Amino acid sequence: MLFFSFFKTLTQQTVTVELKNDISIRGTLKSVDQYLNIKLDDIVVLDELKYPHLSSVKNVFIRGSVVRYVHLPPDKVDRGLLEDACRREAMAQKGKAA
Amino acid sequence: MSFFGFDTTLPRDKAGGANSKGFFEHANPFNEVAKARKLQAFQDNQEEVLDFEDTYDGLGDQLQEAGDDFNDDTFGGGAEGSNDRGGVGKDFDFFGSTAQVSTAIEEEAMRYNLQYPSRETAPPQSRKPKKTGYEKYQDPGYIPEIEAKSGAWSHKPSTHSPGQPSQPEDIHVSTSRHTAPAPEAPQPGTKMMSLEEVEAALLAQAQAHARAQAAQAPQPPYPQPQVFPFPVDHMHPPQPYQPGPPPMPFNQQHAPPPPRSASPRRHNRMPSQPSHPSQTSQLRPAQQPLQILQNPNRARHSPQPSVDRVQGLPPYGPAQAGAAPGITHPQQLLDLSEAQRRAYLEEDAKRAKRNHKIFLLSKGNGLMTPQDKNFITRIQLQQLVTATGTSADPNPEASLNEDFYYQVYSQIRGAPRQHPTQPLGHFAQTYLFQTGIRGGGRRQHANGDNHMQRMQQQVQRAVEAAKLKPKNKQLIIEGSLGKISFSNAKTPKPLLNIKRQDSSDARPASGRKEVSPSDRKTILKNIEAVYTTLMRLEDHERQSPPPPTEGDADSIQAHLDWRQKLQELNTALWQELKVLDPIVPGSSIPHPFIAFLSFAKGKKAMPRIFRLIDQEQRLTILTMIVVHLDQLDVTKDARPAAGDSQPTLAVREEIELFSQTVMPCLLQYVNEAPINIVIGLLGLLVERTSIAVVAMTKIGLGMMTMLLTRAELSKESGVVSDQEWQQWTALYNRLFDTLEPLLGLLFPGPVNSGDDIYIWQFLATIGIGASPDQQQRLVIGVKDRVMETVQQSKTLPPEMASVRLGNVNLFMRAIGLDVEMLG
Repeated sequence: MLFFSFFKTLTQQTVTVELKNDISIRGTLKSVDQYLNIKLDDIVVLDELKYPHLSSVKNVFIRGSVVRYVHLPPDKVDRGLLEDACRREAMAQKGKAA
Repeated sequence: MSFFGFDTTLPRDKAGGANSKGFFEHANPFNEVAKARKLQAFQDNQEEVLDFEDTYDGLGDQLQEAGDDFNDDTFGGGAEGSNDRGGVGKDFDFFGSTAQVSTAIEEEAMRYNLQYPSRETAPPQSRKPKKTGYEKYQDPGYIPEIEAKSGAWSHKPSTHSPGQPSQPEDIHVSTSRHTAPAPEAPQPGTKMMSLEEVEAALLAQAQAHARAQAAQAPQPPYPQPQVFPFPVDHMHPPQPYQPGPPPMPFNQQHAPPPPRSASPRRHNRMPSQPSHPSQTSQLRPAQQPLQILQNPNRARHSPQPSVDRVQGLPPYGPAQAGAAPGITHPQQLLDLSEAQRRAYLEEDAKRAKRNHKIFLLSKGNGLMTPQDKNFITRIQLQQLVTATGTSADPNPEASLNEDFYYQVYSQIRGAPRQHPTQPLGHFAQTYLFQTGIRGGGRRQHANGDNHMQRMQQQVQRAVEAAKLKPKNKQLIIEGSLGKISFSNAKTPKPLLNIKRQDSSDARPASGRKEVSPSDRKTILKNIEAVYTTLMRLEDHERQSPPPPTEGDADSIQAHLDWRQKLQELNTALWQELKVLDPIVPGSSIPHPFIAFLSFAKGKKAMPRIFRLIDQEQRLTILTMIVVHLDQLDVTKDARPAAGDSQPTLAVREEIELFSQTVMPCLLQYVNEAPINIVIGLLGLLVERTSIAVVAMTKIGLGMMTMLLTRAELSKESGVVSDQEWQQWTALYNRLFDTLEPLLGLLFPGPVNSGDDIYIWQFLATIGIGASPDQQQRLVIGVKDRVMETVQQSKTLPPEMASVRLGNVNLFMRAIGLDVEMLG
């Protein structure tokens, strides 16, 4: 659940979610669940001319499976900590497998 | 004829006539067999999907194709068409011919029923499939499967068996609504009971009940067994959480063997269903108080949503149900004492009131199917299981591991919303508390508590069951590449776990030994090993027991154990760092520790390592770095390529990282080191490394600056003996002699290339310790650069100029001069 844990720290931050259908949505990350479903508020679609039907949408719930990328604010990510969290996860999984 | 040229002949005008079989023209003799099988399978496993062909009773196939005779009358064909009215005739007398056709159908149906008496209740008109898959929802008692599949509810379906069809004297055979079609079994036609029918049946049953009571018959015959499908479960106090089988002895007519038909457990939690007259209730007086005390509405607040919000309850169903559960015969009431009776009646009135209220609140009932609710309940429980699963773990570290990043990040930077230190396990309790408030209501607080307790028990069971069956998480299919894992809340996406066989690992391992110990992969592995131990060490440090108190053997022992573990981990870390691996002079392979430092994450580990090791180990590391100063990536690769004023970006980043991570550690140590150590280090530097390489780099110069400064400061503080100082001076002279020809080359680029403060710093440090003669040589060596910088600063904006001049002045002042003097 590293990603869940990770994304939880990014709530209330502005992120850009790129979907698998090429729509990029920037908004405030309101919440995320263990399926990595994402709730965004105050959204802006990056290529608004191409997707005019989304121009009046203010908030969205995105199913985790349709997300391609999430662009994060770099200053909100503690890389050292993230590396350690990855190591812990790997250790835990190794422990489980053994 | 047709405007568009279509064939406008209606199907009924084609050869078959109005009562032809239409779509069902092929009478397949195997249909019946397949159907029977499917039906059986359906009853064994209700999740079987039915299709029309399987459930179609085939009656249509048996119909004779009769009634064509009047087609001509109807449609004006043939000779009679041109009778008295000539041509037009009865062309539009649809009713007449239809009536004749329907008569024919009825006749046919009658004949068929006589031929096949066992099918008499299946009316020939019912061409519709008998089972649509939805008629279950018309059954007010139907609760599909309210239990999470984890088997958490130890209440097994098979432990409670209703009567079996094979026991004809058992009137409760009617429970086998889904049993295989037996002659005396309820007819399939009754499955299609509408709401009104159910209502009527209940009324009829209530009347029959009253009649039976009036007669006081010990074994009242039950007139309409098939219309009342519920088992007599109210005889059993609901014991949904009892792990073992429910007590059977009271229930002699109920056959112990588990039914092979549809799972009866769906009836088990329905004490509020209208009661069923039962001959056993009189035989069991001992059970009565329990029945009275038993709250029939408890199930209404049970987490299984489908229990209470059953679709299609008759409007007065709940109220009726309230009177039912404990006492079914007035005689029973008479047998009770006055107080008991009053208590019972009061209870009864309360129940009725509450039931009425519930009924009023139940307007939205039935919007969701039992399956929907079941599904949601499962999701919620699964999440609870996940949450409590971590909290139930005896090791609190597990929850930290699970949510490490979030918890630590929250502590470091402040949580965005929630309490940062709130352990995961509390979420479940919070959740339970909330549902308790919501479900229990204000008045029924005791009931709400009870509900919460039961919910907690269920969660506990779910957790235990989940723990007991870890192997169910994976499925290994024969011949597959790996295991298929099922998803759960923790790992929502199923994974394909590739089986890794030890044998396949063995071969590369033997080959790997020949690989150099310092190839990239090995180094990275070493670094990861260091990090792993480092994290263990940090965890261990966090779990440090409170300082031992005098006389408390336990605390002292705990502390000793902790120290011992700490020591073990420290040793492991030290070995993994490979600092003490033998140094092979002239080897092309870098020392493992130096290789370790050549990776960014190796550099990043240094501050954390330095914090956890002792002074001696720090000195060892410092010595290793000094000895290999010209082999570090930050010095070796730092010389800019020809034509460039700077090393490549990647190298610059590494240098930057090194100065930010490793240098402060070393500086911290050196700043406290005695002079003899500084002398020793500088000696190693001069003897073992190539000063020409080291002096050309930022890190090398920084290191030398560090040592020289420390020596000067030691001398200033007056703790240096003459002998040591002589040693130092000799060493300094050697260094100076080596450096002198390089002074002009120290600056990597032309004067306008910027970042040269570290060089001026170094020159200043050299200048402080230099003798007047050496200072002279120093000035000669860098004179050109000083002049250039001063010249250039005149063309720069004032702020930048002052910075540049300040840098130069750093050096100039060290040797007693000032840029101002250069004018």
